[in-house]
Amino acid sequence: MKPDAARWDEVQKIFKAKEQFHKDRARLPIEEKIKILVELQNLAIDIPTASKKKRFKMVWEI
Amino acid sequence: MLSKGIVKKYAVGGAVAAIFYVEPILTYDLDVFFEPSEGNDGLLALSSVYDHLKRKGYKVEKEHIIVEGIPVQFLPIYNDLVEEAVDNAARLKYRDTTVNVLTQEYLIAIMIQTARPKDKERIVKFLDEGNFDETQLEKILEKHDLKTAFGMFRRLK
Repeated sequence: MKPDAARWDEVQKIFKAKEQFHKDRARLPIEEKIKILVELQNLAIDIPTASKKKRFKMVWEI
Repeated sequence: MLSKGIVKKYAVGGAVAAIFYVEPILTYDLDVFFEPSEGNDGLLALSSVYDHLKRKGYKVEKEHIIVEGIPVQFLPIYNDLVEEAVDNAARLKYRDTTVNVLTQEYLIAIMIQTARPKDKERIVKFLDEGNFDETQLEKILEKHDLKTAFGMFRRLK
């Protein structure tokens, strides 16, 4: 496939928007970030990991 | 524990400290670096903290102690860099409480020193999202002989 300049521009815009999304989340108040962390824990708690080491996991009760 | 003299100083480190500065990252525990009180070195350092918290009714789960619903891991200060980091911790607010939290610059330096895969991932986040003081970081890296390691990391990024 030939490089498509228009598509590449679009992809660049998407990358920039993603970057901005992460930067915006980094600027949230810590209380909001901890809420997001607990949501992440709820989502990830049952997902098995590749690590052989059994890690203690619990969703924070706050 | 500070007022009771069980620990001389403390600061939150690890992923939770990182979350103060960058986008939330998944973690299940809260790391607290601390300096034990006089005469409580080695294994006594940890047992004095755990015994105190157990007496208060908190439960132990593996290497963690569950404090108010959060698994906390207490880590005695283990080298000069971590000691300096705790001494220079920021006083930050969480809800109505002020807590000692390692600064971004010291967190990055400690991650460079420990260099586990997850540390490397987190350093990338700091480079992308953090707003750390480059000059301050340079000084810390220079003092603890970590400049080369950080330079290599930056080039790879």
